[in-house]
Amino acid sequence: MPLPPIDPDAVFLNIPYDEEFQKLYLAYIVGLYQLRLVPFISSGLAGGERRLDRILALIQSCRYSIHDLSRVELSGTPPATPRFNMPLELGLTITWAKLHPKRHTWFLWESTPRRLQKSLSDLDGSDPNIHLGTVEGLLSELRNAFAFRDAPPVPGMVAAYSVVESQTGKILAEAGTHNLYAASVFKALCFAALDAARRMEGSSQP
Amino acid sequence: MPRSVQLPTPRPSVESLIEQLQMPKARQKRLRAIMDEAWAELEAKKRASSGAAIVPEEKLKNASAAD
Repeated sequence: MPLPPIDPDAVFLNIPYDEEFQKLYLAYIVGLYQLRLVPFISSGLAGGERRLDRILALIQSCRYSIHDLSRVELSGTPPATPRFNMPLELGLTITWAKLHPKRHTWFLWESTPRRLQKSLSDLDGSDPNIHLGTVEGLLSELRNAFAFRDAPPVPGMVAAYSVVESQTGKILAEAGTHNLYAASVFKALCFAALDAARRMEGSSQP
Repeated sequence: MPRSVQLPTPRPSVESLIEQLQMPKARQKRLRAIMDEAWAELEAKKRASSGAAIVPEEKLKNASAAD
């Protein structure tokens, strides 16, 4: 079977789709576009028994993936249940990257140092990027993880985030939903992030 | 050390990434209008804060003119 085509700038985001993560979700979108990388999420993929196949195909088409395990915890609503979707997608990714190391590079992200050693000790030796649960921390780590000459400075990335963040209410209204993770909103946020990148081109601050 | 990769340069252009979104022009126009407002607000805030910084100096000038 031929290998699927790969997008060299695509980054699969394995993240929690919950309210507490919204700011970091937006920071990933804005930050990746500041680095001219293209974020992809699985929230827009159709459900059903083939959903996992679609997720795997998405992972396979992306050159990179970020697995943010900072909110892998027990759910607040009874019965308290751990979230397994993200570790499952991380497992799929690791297998894919083991089979095809030149086609895929994965990154682990956490908010707290040493939490990963406790939650996923099999990955000892894989140092996660620690964003401390903050937008600034996340953007700074993105810039460290994806380096290139003339990469934008972190304050400029934070400024771009702030501008897009200030308009999320209007972007949700335009899409006719309250769900920031909806596929149509994700696309609009991508556009807004790119619009910010375009306006900031050639200057470090808006 | 956390993993780090060196991205190839030149990076893709913003315009090519916008095209990749395959978003209808009408929606792009609506969203651009929303972002225009955001940047206009930011400019207004910048002007207001730099204006506020000038006021004391202006006051000082007026005061010394009155002396």
